[in-house]
Amino acid sequence: MTTLILSGFLALSAGLLAISIFGILTRRNFILLLIAIEIGMNAAILNFVYFAAFSGATTGLDGQAIAVVLIGFAATEIAVGLAIVLALNRLKGSINVAQAIELKL
Amino acid sequence: MIIGVTGTRLRRFEYGGWIAVALSGAAMVVGVLIAFGEAMSPGNYTNVQITWFHVAGAPGTFPNGFTLVMGTLVDPISSLMLVVVTVVGFVVMLYSIGYMHHDKGLPRYYAELSLFLAAMNGLVISNNLIEFFLFWELVGLCSYFLIGFYYEKPSAASAAKEAFLVTRIGDIMFLLGIFLYFSHYATAGPNGGWAANGFVFVHGTTPFLAPSIRGSSTLITVAGIMILGGAAGKSAQFPLHVWLPDAMEGPTTVSALIHAATMVAAGVYLLAVASLFLGFTSFDSLVIVAIGGFTAFFAATMAVVHPDIKRVIAYSTISQLGYMVLAIGAGFAMVGLYHLFTHAFFKALLFLAAGSVIHALGTQDLFKMGGLKKPMKLTAAAFAIGGLALAGIPPFAGFWSKDDVLSSVYSQLGAHPAYWPFFVMAFAAVFLTAYYIFRAWFLAFSGDRIRDPTLPAAHEGPWVMQVPLVILSAFAVGAGLFVFLPGFQGLLLGGAGVAGIPPAYGTADVFLSAVSVLLAAGGIGLAALLWGNGRVFSLADSSVAQPLRRLLLHRYYFKVGYDWIGAKGVYTVSRAADFFDRYVIDGTVHGLERMFGAMSDRLRRMQSGLVSDYAAYIVAGLLGLFAILLVVAPFLIARFGGS
Repeated sequence: MTTLILSGFLALSAGLLAISIFGILTRRNFILLLIAIEIGMNAAILNFVYFAAFSGATTGLDGQAIAVVLIGFAATEIAVGLAIVLALNRLKGSINVAQAIELKL
Repeated sequence: MIIGVTGTRLRRFEYGGWIAVALSGAAMVVGVLIAFGEAMSPGNYTNVQITWFHVAGAPGTFPNGFTLVMGTLVDPISSLMLVVVTVVGFVVMLYSIGYMHHDKGLPRYYAELSLFLAAMNGLVISNNLIEFFLFWELVGLCSYFLIGFYYEKPSAASAAKEAFLVTRIGDIMFLLGIFLYFSHYATAGPNGGWAANGFVFVHGTTPFLAPSIRGSSTLITVAGIMILGGAAGKSAQFPLHVWLPDAMEGPTTVSALIHAATMVAAGVYLLAVASLFLGFTSFDSLVIVAIGGFTAFFAATMAVVHPDIKRVIAYSTISQLGYMVLAIGAGFAMVGLYHLFTHAFFKALLFLAAGSVIHALGTQDLFKMGGLKKPMKLTAAAFAIGGLALAGIPPFAGFWSKDDVLSSVYSQLGAHPAYWPFFVMAFAAVFLTAYYIFRAWFLAFSGDRIRDPTLPAAHEGPWVMQVPLVILSAFAVGAGLFVFLPGFQGLLLGGAGVAGIPPAYGTADVFLSAVSVLLAAGGIGLAALLWGNGRVFSLADSSVAQPLRRLLLHRYYFKVGYDWIGAKGVYTVSRAADFFDRYVIDGTVHGLERMFGAMSDRLRRMQSGLVSDYAAYIVAGLLGLFAILLVVAPFLIARFGGS
């Protein structure tokens, strides 16, 4: 069995975060933005799991427990986000965030 | 005991002047009792004080820090002043009931007058210079209020402002003087630590007295001049005399109380206190003598031609204050205070008698009056008594004190020849004084009819106005004789406690007295000759004396000059200030404004409203934070070290 090393998993997380940030910065579609945010969030959640797994018995299942809680948070966040998408769609007839710029000075 | 005096005064309210009369009467009783007690046990000091605040000593300044106290001090000087202030205050308060009867704004009047009396009493019994200064300012404020009592009259309002501003010049000098003495006594001098003790005049049961050597330090000289400036402002001495004649715009009662007996005396009192407790250098003394002597003469000349009854008396006040300053400058502080004491009574008497005339006729113009001695016998007699006292005819009060002033200065002429011209001026002023005050008397009271027939028929005032005249007349006759009472002498001598007091009061140089009485009699005779029996003396238009008369009437053009200086000087300063304001301050403000405007204009463009842009800013901020945490912070820790 190949030895699993922590930095490899961390690199995976970093990659996911980079994809997420790229998505946040470039997408104009609100749903795609939400998906990008979710990816970034999952990168963070994964980190909890890695560190919990690699720290052995000292922390028990704390990291995994936090991960489960965070997944729940992410779900609620998405619920709120989708509600905003619906409202935006009703208001503008589109879900392109480039059109929702009334807050600027 | 003293706190009781001020306390009752301060608790002033309500309309009725009778309350004020009652309270000031009570204060008078207390004041006189205090003075009596003091006279019975000369050299006794009663000092009550509380600590106001304490400044801890800093290295190199005050080793023991600096404590400011508030307290009351009863010593011979202050009890003497207490008598003057409370007696005259009570009498004037009583007189006001009749005199001010028809005026509106009476509550204001009585409140201000009571506040004034309270402040004046506080000033007199202050036990340290700082407290003294506080009350001094309060007194000045009341004076401003009362001069401007008829504030609808533009002349009254401007006179009030003038008085306030001119005395303010003096006040600033006074304050500077305090600071200078402070810095001097804090570190050096025989009274070292005195300033650190908060300028308290006494220490335990021993008064802090001026060093007998009048040091020649430049600092002390300048400080003395500053104190003199403060006194000159308050006591209307040359060259800050201009406000007092204009202050006659106030009610006559106010003139009698403030601008004759008490407030203007505060300046003299300050000088006396300063000479006893602070000490003047010989140069200071010379300047004080010069100002006193010159003012005595200078003001008397202006009184000679003036047609306004109150202003004539006002000039005579300036002149008499000059005598007091002269005596203090010559080193006889208690002689000055003695003259202050007698002067307060006969000058208040003159003012109240004049007020009685004004009350009856409604005019202050001497040339419209005449023949008043028949309908107003009491007033005529009172004015005559006041005039005789002022002129210095024995046995009236003014004779004793003025002679003391003259003879004490005379005794110093040998040691200080520089005093000569001012002594001569003061002597000449004796003649002028007698002349102008009897010119006023003859113009107003002699003859058989009023010159201006449109004036109402003259009549005496109500009893509340007559009683004060009688009381003050008694004082004007008798106050000078007080000096033969051992207790009163003890008061004067005990107050001094320093060298320079003539051996006995009232036994002045006989020759000198004879000359001054002759001069005074001559002045009265001349007045009788020119103005007596209803005559009006007028200079021919071609007379060589005309320009002199005009000069005097225009008060040597001093006011015009001051106005000019004020207009030009203030205008120039204002221009400079305006320039500074417009270009430097406004420039800075507007420049800053433009800078921030430009910056915010740039920043505003960042607010695109686009979510992605904001996300980009967040990411950029995050990267910046990482940069700081990972690069800058380790560098700083490596460079400057950390825990």
